[in-house]
Order: sequence, then C-alpha cells, then structure tokens
Amino acid sequence: MPESVSNITAQMPRAKLAGLLLFFLGPAVAIYTLFSIYPLVATMALSTYTSDPSGARYFVGLANFETLLGDALWSKPFWNAFGNNLIFFAVHMCVQNPIGIALAGLLSLPGLRLKGFYRTVMFLPTMLSVVIVGFSWNLILSPLWGVASGALKAVGLGSLFAPWLGLESSALVTLSLISVWQFVGIPMMLIYAALLNIPEELIDAARVDGLGHFRIFFHIKLPLVLPTISLVSVLTFVANFNAFDLIYSVKGALAGPNFATDILGTFFYRTFFGNQLQLGNPTMGSAVATVMFFIILLGLCLYLFLVQRRVRRYAF
Amino acid sequence: MANLRIEHLNKRYGATTVLNDVNLDIEDGEFVVLVGPSGCGKSTLLRMIAGLDGASGGDIQIAGKLVNTLAPAERGIAMVFQSYALYPHMNVRKNMTFGLKFTGVPPAERDRRVAEAARMLRLDELLERYPRDLSGGQRQRVAIGRAIVREPAVFLFDEPLSNLDAALRVSTRVEIANLHRMLKSTIVYVTHDQVEAMTLADRIVVMNKGCIEQVGRPLDLYYAPANLFVAGFIGSPAMNFFEAKVGSVEGGCARISGPGFRSFDLPATSLKVGDSLTVGVRPEHLGRGEDGPFAVEGVVELVERLGEASFAYVRRADDRLFVAEVRGRQTPTPGERATLIAAARDVHVFDAAGLRVTTQNDA
Amino acid sequence: MTAEQRAKSLSVHLVLIAYSVLAVGPILLVVMNSFKVRSAIFGSPLALPDATTFSLVGYEKVFRSSHILTYYSNSLIVTLVSMALVLLFGAMAAWALTEYRFRGSTALALFLSIGIMVPIRLGSVAILNMMRSAGLNDTLTALVLVYVAQGLPMSIFILSEFIQQIPKDLRDAARCDGVPETRIFFEVVAPLLRPAIATVAVFTIVPIWNDLWFPLILTSSDSTHTVTLGVQQFLGQYITDWNSVLAALSMAILPVVLIYVILSRQLIAGLTSGAVK
Ligand SMILES: Nc1ncnc2c1ncn2[C@@H]1O[C@H](COP(=O)(O)OP(=O)(O)OP(=O)(O)O)[C@@H](O)[C@H]1O
Ligand SMILES: [Mg+2]
Repeated sequence: MPESVSNITAQMPRAKLAGLLLFFLGPAVAIYTLFSIYPLVATMALSTYTSDPSGARYFVGLANFETLLGDALWSKPFWNAFGNNLIFFAVHMCVQNPIGIALAGLLSLPGLRLKGFYRTVMFLPTMLSVVIVGFSWNLILSPLWGVASGALKAVGLGSLFAPWLGLESSALVTLSLISVWQFVGIPMMLIYAALLNIPEELIDAARVDGLGHFRIFFHIKLPLVLPTISLVSVLTFVANFNAFDLIYSVKGALAGPNFATDILGTFFYRTFFGNQLQLGNPTMGSAVATVMFFIILLGLCLYLFLVQRRVRRYAF
Repeated sequence: MANLRIEHLNKRYGATTVLNDVNLDIEDGEFVVLVGPSGCGKSTLLRMIAGLDGASGGDIQIAGKLVNTLAPAERGIAMVFQSYALYPHMNVRKNMTFGLKFTGVPPAERDRRVAEAARMLRLDELLERYPRDLSGGQRQRVAIGRAIVREPAVFLFDEPLSNLDAALRVSTRVEIANLHRMLKSTIVYVTHDQVEAMTLADRIVVMNKGCIEQVGRPLDLYYAPANLFVAGFIGSPAMNFFEAKVGSVEGGCARISGPGFRSFDLPATSLKVGDSLTVGVRPEHLGRGEDGPFAVEGVVELVERLGEASFAYVRRADDRLFVAEVRGRQTPTPGERATLIAAARDVHVFDAAGLRVTTQNDA
Repeated sequence: MTAEQRAKSLSVHLVLIAYSVLAVGPILLVVMNSFKVRSAIFGSPLALPDATTFSLVGYEKVFRSSHILTYYSNSLIVTLVSMALVLLFGAMAAWALTEYRFRGSTALALFLSIGIMVPIRLGSVAILNMMRSAGLNDTLTALVLVYVAQGLPMSIFILSEFIQQIPKDLRDAARCDGVPETRIFFEVVAPLLRPAIATVAVFTIVPIWNDLWFPLILTSSDSTHTVTLGVQQFLGQYITDWNSVLAALSMAILPVVLIYVILSRQLIAGLTSGAVK
C-alpha cells in the first residue's frame, strides 16, 4: 500500500515547508509542551528538592524517595494506597471487562431489536461526572435513605444489606464497583465496534460449518477482538492508577474509613495539599507524582512487551 | 497549449526504483496514452509531471520552461483523477471555480469559463448539485470540467474511465476524443484499457517496470512491436510465441525452425546460424488453411465462442497451447486436428535479447 | 420464528433490559426524588412525584445558596473554548503530521503521544506553580490551557486516523487547482472532519466537562468554579439537606443527559466508527 504521506514536501522550498509546519504544528506543540510535558518534567525535578520552613528550596537528590519508601510514617500509607489501587484495578479487570464483553456480544447479535435504545441507555452513566455518580450511589447505598436495603428486602435478601460504603472491609470494593458501573460503557462500546468490524461472511461461514451463536462468539469473535480487549485493559490501568475524583467526592481527602479507600490519587492530593492531619508538602507531593508516573510507565512497558506482542492483530 | 519534454527522469523510493531514465517528447496538441502493467510507474510519471511527486533526478519541461521546482499550480497543468476527487462539500459550480479563486482569475472570467465548460460537457443542469447527487458519468464530466476551466497547457488523465460501466466508458471515450479535437490541447492519458489506448492516442507509450519499452503510433505498435514485451502487451488475446532457432543462412534468407511449427524462410540479413529466436503470431492473424508462409498444427482443445469470433485453444505437438481467432459461423470443434497459417508480414521475429529482428517483410 | 428462537430472543432482551434498568435506575431515582418533599423522599423513594409530594424546595435552596448559574456558565465557557481549541489545533497538527514528510516527524508524533498515556495530572504541582507565577491562578484561562494540553494528544491521534481516510486524490486535486496549502486544510480537509467531532468529544470533551481535579487545585473562588466542583462543594456543605442535595445532583445530571440524548446517535456513531483501534 502506498503510504498516505504526501510527497509534496519534496519539491517545496525549505523555508515554505518550515513556515507551514510552524503554522500547523506550532500552537499544538507549544501548548502541549508548556502545559503538559514541562509540568511533568518540572514535577520530577521538584521531587529532588526539599524546602525548609522559611520556604527556601534546596536539592536533596533522592532523599524524598528514600523517605517515601523507607520512613514508616510515609511508606505505610504509600503501600496501603498502592495495595488499594491494585484491588481497585483488579475489580475493574474482573468485573468491568467481562460485563463489557458480554453486553457487547449481546448487542452485536444479528437482528437484535431496540439495539440503539440499549446502547444509548447503557452508555449514559459514562457521560456523567464521577463526582455526581459517586455521590448518587452514596445516597442510594446509605442506610439513612434505605433504597438499597428496601430493594434487597423486596427480593428477600434483606439480611444481606450492610452500610457497605461505611465498612472498612467493603468500602473499597463497593467504590470499585460503582466505578465499574459507570465506566462499563467504554469496553462495551469499543468491543462492540470491534465486533461490528468482523465481516459478516466470516460469521456466515462459521454458521455453514455448523457452529451455534455461543461457539461462534467464543471461538471466532472473541479471539478477533482480543486486541481491543487488551487496549481497553491498558486504558483502564492508566485511568485506575490516576483515579481520584470518585474517592475524593464520596470519602473526602482522608479516604476513610481509616484510609481503607485510599488510593494513589488521594494520597498524592493529601501529600501535596495537606489536610486536617498534615501540612501540604509540594516537594513530597512531587515525589509521589513521580512514583505514580513510574508505576504507570512500568505498567505500559509490561503491556507493550508482554501483552501487545502476543496479541495478534488480524487483517480482514 | 504546449509541448512537454521529459529528460532522464528517475524516481526512487528508498532502494526501489520506480522510474528509470524516462525520456519522452510530446508535441504541442498531441494526445499521448501511457499503458503498461499494474505497478509499472504510469501514475508516478503522471504525478511527477503534475508536480505532485518530486523527481529523484532528471528534468521536466513544459512549453520550453523547466518546471522541476514549480508547484503543481504553477506548471500550467490540470489533472483528472480516477476517483474524480470532487470536493464532496461543494456543488458542481463551486467545484469548478474553487481553484480559480486562488490563481487570480477575476469573477466574471470564472463565470464565463464555467458556462463554457458546462455547455461543452452538458453540465448546465447540474451546476447547483452536489457530487453525491450525481451519477458516475456525471461526476466524471464534472472532473473534466474542473480541469477545462483552468485552461491548462497540458491535461493529465489517470485512468479516468475505469470506474464507469462498459457502456458509459464507450460514450465518455468518444466525448474525450471530441474534446481533444475542440480544445487541441496536449493530453497525457493513463489507461489499462487497450481499446481506449488504440482509439484515443496519437501516440502510445508502453511502459514496463519503470522503463519506456516503446513509443509509437497505435498501429505501429500493433504491426511492428519493437520487442517481446510490447508484442505480448498490445493485442488481446496476447500474441502466441514459439521458440525457434536459425537452422541455416543462405543468400539473405534464414531458415527458421522450432518445435510445433513448420520451418520457414525469413528474409533477414542480421541472423547467424544457431541464433535463438522467438517467433510471434497474433491469434487474429492465424487462419485455417493447408499451407502458408507460416503454418502450425495441433489438436483443438477448447473453443470460446464470443459471437463475432471464436477463440480456439490448440495444443501443438510439443504440448504447448496457442490461440487462434476464428471468424465466421463455422467454429472448430474440440478434438479436431487443425492446421493454421499466417501471412509472412504477420510473423514477428525477436532475437535472444527480445528485440525485433527487422526483415524485408517489414518494408 | 420458532418457539425456541423466541425464547432465546426473549432471554436476550431480559438481560439487556435488566442491565438497562441497572444503568439508568440510580440516575432516575436521584432525579425523581429531587422533585419531592422530604417526607416522600424517605417514605416512598421509588414512587414518582405526584400532586401531594411534588416540591421544588431543593432547587430553590440550590439557587439561593450557591452560584449554580455562574458554575454553569463557567463550565460552558471552559468546555466550549477548550473544545474549539482542541479541535482546531488538534486537526492542524494531525494534518501536518499525516500530510507532510519532514525530518523528525516520527519523533514528534511519539512525543505528542506521551500525553495519551501519561496523565497530565501528575504534573499538577508544577502546573499550579506556573499558573501562580503567571498570575493565572484562579482563572478560567488556566483551566482552558490545561485542558487543551490534556485533550490535544488524543484528538491528534483520532483526527489523524480520520484525515488518513480522506482520499489522497482530493488533496492532490486541490494542489493541481492551485489552492494554497493552508486553504487546502481549512476549506477542503477541515469541512470533511465533521464526523470526527463526535469521537473527539467523547474522548476529550466529556472528561473536561466532568473534571473535578483541576478546578479543585486551580480555582479557589465561587466565580471560577465549574459545575462539577461547585456541586461537589455544595454537597459537602449541605450533606444533611436531602432536598438540596438531590436537586444539586439533578442539576448536574440533567443538562448532560439532555445533550447526550440529543447527540447520542452521533456520539455512538463516532465511538463505533472504528477510528480508535
Ligand atoms: N510512496 C511510495 N513508496 C514506495 N513505493 C511506491 C510509492 N508509491 C508508489 N510506489 C511504487 O511505485 C510503483 C509504481 O506505482 P504506480 O502507482 O505509478 O503504478 P501504476 O503504473 O500507476 O499502476 P496501476 O496501473 O496499478 O495504477 C509501484 O510498484 C508502487 O508500489
Ligand atoms: Mg496508477
């Protein structure tokens, strides 16, 4: 396939090409560099400084990281947040993806009626703000209002009800499930789109071979949308390790009860801005952000080298 | 109106050479058709003339002016694309005038040109329509109209008819021929269709693997192909080839023999005993008979009946197939033994390098 | 249809309906109860408001004790301006990256794609410092700048895919016609990118409207709060006043749902167009 890049630049005078590139790329590159890349780099740089009470900053090398990972005062909450974040991510992977795949599979059944309606309705929560979603669920699950307990009672499971969001044992998983509820639309839509891309004839051929809908889905469709599923997973990973809004709006910066719902995003916020218990510390905050950056980077590398390579993309 | 001169033109993409030392002189007002197998570099050559692709070496002159470094718009060309490339969000009139805005043509003059082109191409009714509301043939005419209003020195067409159905292709072909007669402009036209090439061209350029194999008037290419490639490429079904050797040379005549056909004498002076040759005869020049200057026999294996003619696939004694075009209602039947003969002037001989051997028959 | 097929199709619909109820139920519940008196909210939460239980007291409270209209207009300004710039600069950059061959174009594309995966939030400390020293702290401009930087990488990625789908002949035809490069972009290519807007919107614009983080760290006064932050703070303040809380939530939900329902066809078409693979 001849590439789509134009060869027009070959005979363009250099100055003219430079002018065009400056015009087209200048604004995007300038804003992006200034407000995205530079802050990232500056934050990392700041993580190697510390400030004394007078506000003067001086270079301390990796001392902040040593404190963060070595000093129990810091490392305990850090590892707690990291562990919680892993659970948060694991719940997404184990619940969000299977539900997304199942819904996409059902939606892509040939001849299904009301397809558009279902799609629209199921994607709706994804469009809403995490803050609003979190707070709404907070009300619904609240024993004060009694909607959730009432609903459970109605189906005879009233004894199962507990103030899930308030209990140290269940708060984190409950919040994760709220987040899954909101964002299941994304894997659903992307996988649905990938399923639509599979040529009809392929499915027809399998039908002629005598496979039923179920078999077709598991043996033909699923392997073909594996690349999309792995893409969705990595998107989920980045979003999860950078999440903040939900916990903050439901549980506040302290991520209670007793830090049971603290994840890296809220830990970062508390470190940076401080709260009732401690003063804000921009240099330590930068160190936390830098560590988060490397965690995400590590995850991306693992994905690129372990997953991406094994997942084969098929051309139709 | 202008002539077009291409000298030592080269095009490389990395290590692959797409055009190799192309030289071509096109007269003012001439209609030149480029043909060749897919991927031989026709579109590339056209795009380089247009200035859409840069050259890796060589010169292009339009109307005596070196245009190597000029932008497409400054070269005085107009191009019609296979996909028509109409701007989907502009109506027909806007499609035609859009480019003129930027080349300093005053509004009144723009309208005059559009009106004239519309009249010529019968587009008057369609000027306010959008491309999506036009048929394939109409889109094609709009694309041509957009080229005409630029009043270019050279028109470039890249397979303009290949997206049309057979009937429309014929009528549009006739229109393009008429247009050329009216405008008298220089045209370079790429096609896959031999009929288009033969009927439209003043001269045909046959290309292969980035090189020009032969340039000539349509019938010259047909009757005197310069080499094996052109011989095999022009004409459909393709020319039959027979391996041959020079047996003896006597008094300006060479005795040619080979498996599958009867030996014959060729009035050629350049041949030596033992030379390897290829003998070529077009299917339409083979007729049934007993004996002739060239005769080949075999068993009819398959007959394709097209109505106005039939193609007989005949297996020779040496187990190779060749094709003969048989006219008339009396078609051969499979299994039948047949002898097919051709006139001396219809027998083409090529040397070991694939070049045409000139004979007294050519005169 | 055989009985078996009918049973199958019925069960598929049952599953889908069940999930649909789960998806919109909570939202409906909040919106529905926001129109009720307090006793009805607790007495019969699942009932629709009727003549005796209907009340707008929560909404009155929200209007009285928060600057909800200011929040709306802030959110609208920030989102629309960011969207315009993300689309404009994103499309321009995508065009240059896909159309022109130049030294370093691959490196530049890689550089720009960092932002797709690495969240800009991690640079918040430096962003806040920068905005403070530039005097942009607590302004909508600061939000717009950050959001444009945040949205550009994804929009460049999406728009590049769309630009590649525009036939090459079209750009070449324009060049033969003598149309200058900038005009080719603005008058030939840009109008054909309209279907891409929906896709870009889902991936970059919706997150801007919904964001809590940057308003939280970059704005400090009521006059610069966005809806998300304003409502969040209001909720924190009036947590025990259920009427007001439900009303505030509904006021954040309803405009989004309204716009979503109007545009859902395009949005979903944009999502499923396959431009994001
Ligand atoms: N950008 C490119 N990079 C590398 N090779 C290219 C590029 N563009 C074209 N080519 C190669 O150049 C050769 C000539 O292509 P061109 O399009 O000119 O062929 P063509 O004769 O027009 O073929 P067709 O009849 O199929 O249109 C092909 O082998 C093609 O693969
Ligand atoms: Mg071509």
